[in-house]
Amino acid sequence: MTPLAFARRLAQAVLAVLGIIVVTFFLIHSAPGDPAAALAGEGGDAAYIEAVRRNFGLDRPLPQQFVTYAGNVVQGDLGTSLVRGRPVSEVIGDRLPVTLLLMGTALALSSLGGMVLGGIAARRPGRALDLGITTGGVVGYAVPTFWLAQLAVLTLGFRAGWFPVQGLTDARADHTGFAAVLDVAHHLVLPAVVLALSDVAIVARLTRTGLVHELATDYARTARAGGVGPRRVLTRHALPNALLPVVTVVGARFGTMLSGAVLVETVFAWPGLGRLLIGATRSRDYPVLLGLVLLASFAVVVANLVTDLVNGRIDPRTSGV
Amino acid sequence: MTRSVGRSTAGWVRRAVVVALVGATMATGFSTDALAQAKCVPTRTRKCPPPPVRGGTFVVALLADPGQLNPAITTSGVVHPAAEPLFNGLVSIGEDSKPVGELAQSWKIDRGGARYTFTLRKGVKWHDGRPFTSADVKYTYEDVLLKFHARTRASMADALDGIDAPNATTVVFRFKRPYAPLLQQMDVTEGPILPRHIYQGTDPLTNPANSRPVGTGPFRFSSYSAGSQVVLVRNPTYFRAGLPYFDRMVLRVIPDASTRVLALEAGEVDWIPSVPIPASDRARLNRNLALVRTAWNPGGSNCIMTMSYNLDRPALKDVRTRRGIAFAIDRDQFLSQVLFGEGRVANAPISTGIPFAHAAGLNIPGFSTTLANQLLDQAGWPREGDTRVSRGVSGVPDGTRLALDFVQRPADTKYGEIVRQRLAAVGIPVTLRNLEDAVFRPTIFRDRNFDLNVISYCNGTDPQIGVRRMYHSNQIGPVDFTNSSAYRNSEVDALWDQAAQEVDRNRARAVYRRIQEILVDDLPYLWLVETVSTRAHPAVCTGFRYNSGLFAEAAFCRR
Repeated sequence: MTPLAFARRLAQAVLAVLGIIVVTFFLIHSAPGDPAAALAGEGGDAAYIEAVRRNFGLDRPLPQQFVTYAGNVVQGDLGTSLVRGRPVSEVIGDRLPVTLLLMGTALALSSLGGMVLGGIAARRPGRALDLGITTGGVVGYAVPTFWLAQLAVLTLGFRAGWFPVQGLTDARADHTGFAAVLDVAHHLVLPAVVLALSDVAIVARLTRTGLVHELATDYARTARAGGVGPRRVLTRHALPNALLPVVTVVGARFGTMLSGAVLVETVFAWPGLGRLLIGATRSRDYPVLLGLVLLASFAVVVANLVTDLVNGRIDPRTSGV
Repeated sequence: MTRSVGRSTAGWVRRAVVVALVGATMATGFSTDALAQAKCVPTRTRKCPPPPVRGGTFVVALLADPGQLNPAITTSGVVHPAAEPLFNGLVSIGEDSKPVGELAQSWKIDRGGARYTFTLRKGVKWHDGRPFTSADVKYTYEDVLLKFHARTRASMADALDGIDAPNATTVVFRFKRPYAPLLQQMDVTEGPILPRHIYQGTDPLTNPANSRPVGTGPFRFSSYSAGSQVVLVRNPTYFRAGLPYFDRMVLRVIPDASTRVLALEAGEVDWIPSVPIPASDRARLNRNLALVRTAWNPGGSNCIMTMSYNLDRPALKDVRTRRGIAFAIDRDQFLSQVLFGEGRVANAPISTGIPFAHAAGLNIPGFSTTLANQLLDQAGWPREGDTRVSRGVSGVPDGTRLALDFVQRPADTKYGEIVRQRLAAVGIPVTLRNLEDAVFRPTIFRDRNFDLNVISYCNGTDPQIGVRRMYHSNQIGPVDFTNSSAYRNSEVDALWDQAAQEVDRNRARAVYRRIQEILVDDLPYLWLVETVSTRAHPAVCTGFRYNSGLFAEAAFCRR
């Protein structure tokens, strides 16, 4: 990508994030519900609710609130959580590593798993293995994540007893060092696999289709005629070309995986951002909600930018765009 | 790792004698194995129970992240179960709802019930080592509970004249008039005591100690990972010497109901405060677990699911219309289809859990479509085809169709569905409005924008704590969980005020009976079902106080 093209992309990205802030801010504030009332709880009388509203600046006109908020965001201040009384950046920061661990593992599993399965399927298109993988992929993609999560908890967690059914760590043990890492890894397996499964299907299908197409091209045939082994043709020649759409999809999924994480985190009691999002929505904790939307949109924009850069490396024809 | 725990637990459970405490056990007080063992003198024919087992980690499932851990500033059912093990009240509720000294060793009531003098336990220490004194009690009530704890404020604030702390171990509560329910509302749920030296001069709502609390309770704070878990450790200087038995208590946030139950069955969790269990699952769970029903819910007790009629709506002003609607509803359906038989159909406005005030033999409309149709016809809503239209209803133009909306929270959708189905059968279409809690409360109590709704009103242990707020006309307004129907009856107001001053329970009983008779005649609400919570824990664990926030104070597990 040329510096000019990159700058143009960057400008688009910044504009997109700004647009998202404006739309989300007014959308959230126009939804019914009152954070002050939610905060005041059962005993909140009118005077107390008014005091809460004043305290958090919720009594001021909406455009004025927006200008203050946007000004703060530009300076890197996401505000203070109405419910927790702590900076939003801290509240999100506490949960971010846990969600990144889950999403990162799921993304790695789905990308690698999908590419391997797609490669296997593409070697003999139309045969039983290909049909099996393709059909399995469609099923995996179609199964709702929350159902799959509960099924995994019930079968692999509870009945077989191979994995814990909830949480990030074993509540009874107080592990440290490598044992703590193993403990988290053990707890990570089921949620990460469940979150990865629908993406495995997409990546496998895209890889297979791309490879089948590339293996039928002249350059692949020429390579084979020149004595290059089938495995080498597949991995060195066809795969890089077949990966273009795969990279695009994986990049896009990084930003949108948070929606899947909401469900998976709830079922597995995984203390990440997805559950923070639900809690903030229920209690109308506007600053946390806006902070999370901002983070998610930022992730999408960055992921798209990175995808463009990676695609540019894989296929120089796209780098001028 | 985890599996080895699960397996050994399951094996233990299978070998152990299964003690399933299912039934109408309204378990209370200190009837623990520990005390039985302490009192037991072995003879040739009588064996004493084995001594309690010390140590281990007890894992509690929380339904949601508590956010903060100060139980004095909220009545939230999410905060209280997590925070209460860290604190104490002055008086707890023992067997048969009788008060038992906690931070208070003894008390004296004089001036006909208008003055209570408490003598505090000596030698009690806060978790940071500072001594607990009467100044802590005075500060907590005056500056925190009476301002921020909804039930304590609503019931006590008007009647209280002042609190004195004449010396370090004496606290005097002075009331403007006799105030009967005081001892029933001083446990750790209604009156947790905070350390003055940490809170004084700060905003109790934002004090950092709310996230790192210092209490006097059986467990001390260790760590809090937001959204994940709260870790507490044994308080070695707890004033009840030798207690607690557990070394560590982990309160794990598990939002999904089915995951909670599976975690309990797998041995990852030891305690679920409230489990909805279909009868079909009960037998399976009973093999490994003790399931105990109690009327105590997190943050409140003796709750009745109640349907409010909005009396500000012209269509619902005529008591015949309200009675007609009540006759159309089969309240047994809520018990069987929503509560899976756990609880009972409400037969009075005051819960059976407050025996001295509950009135038996009242005539709440039962299920009769015939009577429902007759009453609705008489009230000026004759049937026309599938619906009913007004003919001479005051405040309603003739020809208006009778259609109602029913506002509910997501957890209560089954109630609305049953009401809709039943009212459709007598020609009243019902529109369900499912509102999240943050929207539900202002819609009902501030905007009064509903025809019917369903609310869980927790009665507490005295009608003045949780029932008065539903019926007194001075309780109509934007405060949550007050008089949702906007019921106004000056005779009932006067009776509530009279009952509050009756220290003699027999005399109070008569007043409460009269109140309930009038309420059943006026029918501002329809009392649907009394709910109970089912606590679930491994059968190898015992010694719990099921009616207290200090449920694990004397508990232990024989794993």
